[in-house]
Amino acid sequence: MIRSSKTWQAVALTAVAGLALSACGTTDTDGGGGDASADECNFKIGVMGALSGANASIVLPSVDGAELALTQWENDECEVTLEKFDTEGDPAKATPVATQIAGDETFIGVIGGAFSGETRATKSIYNDAGVTMISQSATATDLTQEDPVEVFHRVVPYDDYQGAAIAKYLTDELGASQVFVVDNSEAYGEPLADRVEETLGDAMVQRDKTEVGQTDFAPTISKMESAEPDAVFYGGYIAEAAPLLKQMRDAGIDAPFIGGDGLYGADFGNAVGDAGEGAVVMCPCAPIEGDSTFAADYEAEFGAAPGAYAAEGYDVMSVFLAALDDGARTREDVEAFVDGYSGEGLSKTIAFDENGDVPQDAVSYWAYKNEGGTLVPEVEVAP
Amino acid sequence: MSQILDAYRGLKLRDRMSGAPGWVRKVGMLLVIAFAFYLPFLNILPFAYIRTDLTSSGSDWASVLFLVVVYMIVAVGLNVVIGFAGLLDLGYVGFYALGAYSVALFGSPSSPVVEAIQNRFGLDETWAVPFVMCIPIAIVMALIAGVTLGAPTLRLRGDYLAIVTLGFGEIIRITARNLDNVTNGATGISGVPVPPGPEIDGRSFFNTIDAERWYWLALSILILIIFLAFRLEHSRVGRAWLAIREDEDAAAIMGVAAFKFKLWAFAIGASVGGIAGLLFGSKQQYVEPNAFMVNLSFLFVAMVVIGGSGNIYGVLLGAFLLTYLPERFREFQEWRPFAFGVALVVVMILRPQGLVPSRRRAREFEDRKVEAEEAAADA
Amino acid sequence: MDFDALFSGLDRHTLDGITRGSIYALVALGYTMVYGVMKLINFAHSEVFMVGTWAVLGVYTALGVSAGAGLAVVIGATLLALLAAMLASAGTALAVERIAYRPLRKKGAPPLIFLITGIGCSIVLVEIFGQVFKVFFGAPFGRVTVNIPSVLQTKELFTIPGLDLTITNTRVIIIVGAIVMMLALDTFVNKSRLGRGVRAVAQDPDTASLMGVNRERVIMLVFILGGAMAGVAALLYTIQYDITKFDIGFIIGLKAFTAAVLGGIGNLRGALVGGLLLGIAEVYASTIWSSEWANVTAFVVLVVILMFRPTGLLGESLGKARA
Repeated sequence: MIRSSKTWQAVALTAVAGLALSACGTTDTDGGGGDASADECNFKIGVMGALSGANASIVLPSVDGAELALTQWENDECEVTLEKFDTEGDPAKATPVATQIAGDETFIGVIGGAFSGETRATKSIYNDAGVTMISQSATATDLTQEDPVEVFHRVVPYDDYQGAAIAKYLTDELGASQVFVVDNSEAYGEPLADRVEETLGDAMVQRDKTEVGQTDFAPTISKMESAEPDAVFYGGYIAEAAPLLKQMRDAGIDAPFIGGDGLYGADFGNAVGDAGEGAVVMCPCAPIEGDSTFAADYEAEFGAAPGAYAAEGYDVMSVFLAALDDGARTREDVEAFVDGYSGEGLSKTIAFDENGDVPQDAVSYWAYKNEGGTLVPEVEVAP
Repeated sequence: MSQILDAYRGLKLRDRMSGAPGWVRKVGMLLVIAFAFYLPFLNILPFAYIRTDLTSSGSDWASVLFLVVVYMIVAVGLNVVIGFAGLLDLGYVGFYALGAYSVALFGSPSSPVVEAIQNRFGLDETWAVPFVMCIPIAIVMALIAGVTLGAPTLRLRGDYLAIVTLGFGEIIRITARNLDNVTNGATGISGVPVPPGPEIDGRSFFNTIDAERWYWLALSILILIIFLAFRLEHSRVGRAWLAIREDEDAAAIMGVAAFKFKLWAFAIGASVGGIAGLLFGSKQQYVEPNAFMVNLSFLFVAMVVIGGSGNIYGVLLGAFLLTYLPERFREFQEWRPFAFGVALVVVMILRPQGLVPSRRRAREFEDRKVEAEEAAADA
Repeated sequence: MDFDALFSGLDRHTLDGITRGSIYALVALGYTMVYGVMKLINFAHSEVFMVGTWAVLGVYTALGVSAGAGLAVVIGATLLALLAAMLASAGTALAVERIAYRPLRKKGAPPLIFLITGIGCSIVLVEIFGQVFKVFFGAPFGRVTVNIPSVLQTKELFTIPGLDLTITNTRVIIIVGAIVMMLALDTFVNKSRLGRGVRAVAQDPDTASLMGVNRERVIMLVFILGGAMAGVAALLYTIQYDITKFDIGFIIGLKAFTAAVLGGIGNLRGALVGGLLLGIAEVYASTIWSSEWANVTAFVVLVVILMFRPTGLLGESLGKARA
């Protein structure tokens, strides 16, 4: 045991000396990136979203879509890498990621946030740093309407538009006058169902709220039985839609089942099975043209059919790559290019209005019907 | 691994530190604190390898440090409940959520509560409760919740308490999600206020970019709370907790009012959780119910237990490792949760007493181990 | 609030609640047995249930059966799936015991440590199905919802006159199946030689080992039995809901644990009572308000009951389970 003060003084002195000496070697901590000099085109694009956790299935296909766009990109001049950042969909985990991307100048753009919550939490960070964001799937209305920031763009129309289109499909295409509206009480399903309810007016017969993770929908089913709806709308995700549909059909409720874009994805048919035959998914995405090789390429690359928002992910990446093709070399260039961008995407004609939304007239709403496990385009709906 | 541990034990750092002259201990403490404050700028090889932003898919070092410190505050608070008083609380995230929601509900101009107050008293649209006032509100809200939860349930035995507290955490989250008119429901509340400070470069002092300032603020609060926790541990209350933890019946016979002291532990733990939540919500500037899932409660308990429940240094280490490691090894992406689960099992089996156990706990543990071995030999 | 909806269809809602609660009760047995013998909350039990649902899917896929098969095929496939689910769940439970609990027991670790290894195991199992198997085997593993073919299709059997209740075959199977398994387990624990050992260890481990009961054996037995019951629950779950997913265990596990505590943890009949009560309370609450308040109601019911009966409705202790 050291008890004498002298020994301790010696220890302290050595420590100070050691610190001073080691100060000579320092490391580069600007994110390990090289210099982004003007003549060199070597950039990174970030994608931020839930890559693990319960909601990853809604995000991963869009990341794969973006990766596919990058693989197919032909440009000898530029080197672009796609950096994936897992946020688990949690805003708390998204902020360090956003600060990191913002601080690394080689990042010229961000694909995301995939969900509205993490986008809300990070958009001011990106805005302060001037990093252009294009979201493939964040649909909350307030992101662009109540609280817009310069750098935020998205290729999906927001909940208000979608709700109106869905209501129109319900009343005009199906001729429904007694719609039963169900939502999942989450930031995605609830506002969408609110808007559907608002547009439907008297055509809605009853509203019920469920939970994410719920599998037993018996109370909802018995409410449906007494309400006798001629159509059922569900605002939520696939995991809950599957057991809901199964229990509806088991109870002998044959009313058409309509869901929002949260259900859109190649895994829908696989999740709902026979009970989901004829279920309709409304999506602000046009069917991919017959001559496009996207679906085949995607399947060849990732071994599965393109899932939710895969085409949107591809489109977003294509916009960023087009910016580089156009000669954009700084964040300001990219932001300016994206703001003025207009072009044909896989999912729709891509352009951005002053709030960062795709102009309403560029968006086509499509109803897809589940036939034998695949979503087949049924009809286009103009809201 | 064991060789390293043996070498570490051979140094007898703890004995040396406690046997060292007073000024050495003070200087040592100051050096550690100074180093902690300097951490965001740590750029000296080879120490800089601990930074989380070395790879291009890393995350901002100062922001990670901030989160680490917030969780350290949580761990110190939860340690009062689990480590000192021996009560299993699986709903600690509820208090954390209450802290975050307090500052959001009263401090954000766009929260329904503030809007109601504005309309009632004809106030300006930008008016909101100032940040400084939100601090006592958050602490009091968490405190009240702690007492309301504790008063009816603390008479329950350990495992019953676990499920009841777990339920409490869920009740807080679900209620926040469902009460659209009060909390904005699942959409959450944005525009949460930040602490006041001088403007620098046209930005407020506490902004979204300069995370190291948030880190320093949180660190200062953490140091204060650690200091208070140490005082508490060695106070009359701390000794009462010890007695209750070891043997509640014996303590009661000796005249220790078990219920009263348990309630104290709950209330103190709750208000510390509230402070952590307040810091989190304010830095985030956005609060939503899904940030307070029940898994977070499990993570908090894991921090305390892995580090060594009952030992403040231990739980600090636990909070650091469980927050920092997943961020440091971001490149493993989807594999991180799997690795996390494996690590929990492996670490606990290798070191069931925690990484840095409290001395008393370690001795209790030795006793139990001997008993277990004897029992095994008998059988 | 819509009390009319509740009272106008009270019989129907009660039946819905019993159906929901039957599955909770079966899973709750696992928690309660392990707790009774080891005074330990087995946090990985929710994943034991989840593994069972995958076993059902595996059997159906291997046999290639789908909806609309003949009666003999349906019965054969379902029984095979039941067997596979029970084996898979029991095996998982046993593996968890061996890997996460036995080494700790040897060291005499405090209960809190078991909780953490249990949580760790739970995460590992979830990730095995959500990540590891996806990487090695591809679909259907991964983080998506997977359909399980409704081999056993829902058919109306009869209606109860005067009550306006339609009884379907799936309902009968779930409720009767759950109750039969419970009675079988209860009889086993109360009447058989092995069951006596279980009760003896639950009552007093030290005296039990003096009397020649092998404690380790009893613990293994308890994990196997609890796991098998979770396997039965898994089959019933797939019959009712037709899906599985890597993370479905969590919520069921949470509810089942609540049910076990509600009935009196460590008490087999308590698990049944707690499960049914919880199911009914949730369905009632969902009818009066909506499903978003179901979980809050469940926990409030729990707190209120524990305030008046601090050891649950039927009291704890597997050892005194005869009452």
